[in-house]
Amino acid sequence: MRYILIIFSLILITFSAVIGQVDPVVTDSLAPVPAPPAPVTEVAVSDKANDHGHALIIEWKRSLDDGAGSNAVMLYEIFRSEFPDSAFKMVGSVPLGNERFEDIGTIEKESRDYIPDNTNLYYRVDAVTIDPVVRTSSEVYGPVQSYSNWFHKGRVPVLTAVLIFGALMVYFVSVARKGTELYVRPLAGIAAVDDAIGRATEMGRPILYILGLGTADMISTIASFTILSRVAKQVAEYQTELIVPCYDPIVMTVAQEVVKSSYLDAGHPDNYKEDSVFYITTNQFAYVAAVNGIMLRDLPATNVYMGKFYAESLILAETGAVAGSIQIAGTDEVGQLPFFIVACDYTLIGEELYAASAYLGREPIMLGSLKAQDYAKAAVIVLMILGLLAINVHLNAFIEIFKVVD
Amino acid sequence: MKRQIPVLLVFVFGVFMIFQYFSPHEYSEWIYKFLMDWIYIIGIFAMALGIWSLIHVSYDKIKNKRHDWGYSVVTLAALFIMMFFGITGFDENGEWGFYFMTQEGLTNPMFRNFFNHILVPIETTMFSLLAFFISSAAYRAFRARNVLATMLLVSALVVMLRFNPYFGEAVGLYMNKIAAWLLNVPNMAAKRAILIGIGLGMVGTALKVVLGIERGYMGKG
Amino acid sequence: MKKTTLIIMAGVTVLFLLSWIIKALALEGMQEDYIKKAFLVTFSAFLTLSILSFLYRDNPFYKFAEHLFVGVSAAFWMSMGFWSTIVGNLIPRLSQNLSVFFKVHYIPGDFNFRFYIPVILGLLLLMRLSRNYGWISRWSLAFIVGTTAGLNFIRYLRSDFIKQISATFVPLLVDWQGTGHFFSNLDLSASGQLVMMLANWTIFLGVMSGIIYFFFSKEHTGMFGRASRFGIWVLMITFGASFGYTVMGRISLLVGRITFLFRDWLGFNI
Repeated sequence: MRYILIIFSLILITFSAVIGQVDPVVTDSLAPVPAPPAPVTEVAVSDKANDHGHALIIEWKRSLDDGAGSNAVMLYEIFRSEFPDSAFKMVGSVPLGNERFEDIGTIEKESRDYIPDNTNLYYRVDAVTIDPVVRTSSEVYGPVQSYSNWFHKGRVPVLTAVLIFGALMVYFVSVARKGTELYVRPLAGIAAVDDAIGRATEMGRPILYILGLGTADMISTIASFTILSRVAKQVAEYQTELIVPCYDPIVMTVAQEVVKSSYLDAGHPDNYKEDSVFYITTNQFAYVAAVNGIMLRDLPATNVYMGKFYAESLILAETGAVAGSIQIAGTDEVGQLPFFIVACDYTLIGEELYAASAYLGREPIMLGSLKAQDYAKAAVIVLMILGLLAINVHLNAFIEIFKVVD
Repeated sequence: MKRQIPVLLVFVFGVFMIFQYFSPHEYSEWIYKFLMDWIYIIGIFAMALGIWSLIHVSYDKIKNKRHDWGYSVVTLAALFIMMFFGITGFDENGEWGFYFMTQEGLTNPMFRNFFNHILVPIETTMFSLLAFFISSAAYRAFRARNVLATMLLVSALVVMLRFNPYFGEAVGLYMNKIAAWLLNVPNMAAKRAILIGIGLGMVGTALKVVLGIERGYMGKG
Repeated sequence: MKKTTLIIMAGVTVLFLLSWIIKALALEGMQEDYIKKAFLVTFSAFLTLSILSFLYRDNPFYKFAEHLFVGVSAAFWMSMGFWSTIVGNLIPRLSQNLSVFFKVHYIPGDFNFRFYIPVILGLLLLMRLSRNYGWISRWSLAFIVGTTAGLNFIRYLRSDFIKQISATFVPLLVDWQGTGHFFSNLDLSASGQLVMMLANWTIFLGVMSGIIYFFFSKEHTGMFGRASRFGIWVLMITFGASFGYTVMGRISLLVGRITFLFRDWLGFNI
């Protein structure tokens, strides 16, 4: 029995040896096994700058077999681990020709893509051929850590602008506080507001104040609140009626507060009617339909449009013009300015809307801020001329200063 | 108390928002996200104030039998009926109840009918009124008798008539070219000048708000 | 109400009913629920015409459509806000029981308590309705205004200010290589050097004089006045151009509505 087993084993060994000799010939005729490519070199990993952490940048020099040599590299796979020699996990891949990968993780600990901050990490880059098994790993790079940045260096130009503008503002406001007389040129639209209120009083007709479609947090709406407070104060003094239909409930709330305290300031708190500032609806054209109705039924002597306006500007302003009201508009929505200019008697263009609140109040502090804005504009002109000179003499360093990284 | 706390709140949150722009740090981003969520949620509560004001004004009109009070009945009826359809509906078992928001949106068929056959036609018609109003506005511009209005009108005419076939091919071609130039070159210059001005105005106003100089939004100018 | 108004209203009602019947007869056999569908289309047409009637003058039909529109749109906006924000986003983070009630998935989280703060601020905002404690609502407003003022301060400083300045750095002089197509066929859109220089100079002078126009603290006289005058010219030409540009777009909106009336309602094959 034992002999039979030995003989059988010998036959088996001989047989497999024969097959073994044949085998390579068969596979050869199917496809060539690529040789392992040259590894990538000079792997370098660094923390991604100016970010909230949890991200690193991996750079390398491509394999000699990428686009040259045996041309075998198809892609690079990037691996990360918290240990120098084990537990590497693939975090991404880039096609051949690339030498950079951003490993951007999430900040949620539960997530699969989470990258811990302030923890030692190790990276390696594999050059992979068409057969994913055939690959060459680079040397492991590490340890390296990712971390959160407190300051975004790409935003220095903005910070500089904030500081300069803030300083100008504080300086001129304090100058104004000391009682220095500051000159501002007259603005036709502003004078018109006073006249219009007088006219409404004479005619015994109301004043319609439209705050636009902006929400209470838009700066144009905030500027409009300030103008409303002046208008309401004068209206209270003249004892004219004021109508303020609103598009946004928060705007309505604020407008009620503004009008109420203006009446109080004017010494006529009893004349304030809660329903003079009311909400219509938060639908652009339903709002327009209702305001159109008010214009034709209550026949206001004056319509004031201040704030954010969109396509409805023309419908409102034209209906008001047809109704024969004096119309004063102001908006920072460039696309709507032409319509107001055509259909209204006075239009405050862009920045004039913001200036209007300072003008109407004639408060020195507000005028101080206008002065700061004017100095900033002067600075803009100087910078623009310098920039032009720089670009024409190819002084790119100057232009680079204005690059803001988003 | 009534004025100091709001001014302080404005200052603290305003300064934080300026700070967070320069600081990409995880913590500052985290708080930023909170604050954005909060604004959104508070806005929803304001809805109640708006609806309350609408009901109050309409009811007041009806109660005192003011001029055209009958139309306020239409407003209130439309509001309540639409709200009823807006917060009730069929659930997945086909039963009527206080629920109906599904993947496809609001499923109450009456809500959809109101939307498609009242809201949409009126809205699009209101929008289309612009075609008439822009014509009457153009006519108004025609009558203007000063240099600035004339400049506006001439450039409007050039752009408006740029595709007009009646001028003959040669004139039409140049008109089109001039219109394109007007829309690209001076347009860009003017927009930029306005934007720089607006930017400064906004920045100035925002800074005044944060520093508590401008308090118009609180009812104190 | 005047007699003529009543007659007109009665006439319109009869016409509306007639139109409904005719539309229903036309749709019969073609669609299910044809009576209801005919009503809806006719009603839409009625509302469309009511709004258009405003162009003639204010009238009861417009008033009806307007008041209906206001009520429906306010409720629409409220329902959408309620379901998408309160039920969709807030409740899943606040309460498991409420989530079950509204059939939404409860999202547990370590920091869900933070969503109570805006709820409290929102409730404070509602204090406005109270005569004596209305001032508390200012706290919520202050939060919103402060946060967004800070946000906008930075946003506009960056986008409207710094970026616009650097965009104006354009080459005014270029190495001269000829006029391009400017003289041969007055091609303003050609990339010939003369045209490019002309455009760059216009942009530069336009921006400068535009900014000068917006100077408030200096009288617009002399050289400064002339620059400001040029600035307002550029602004006006621009406004004219963008006015002219919008006209065509607005007219196409009207065409859409007219198509609805003639095709969907009256059944013309256009």
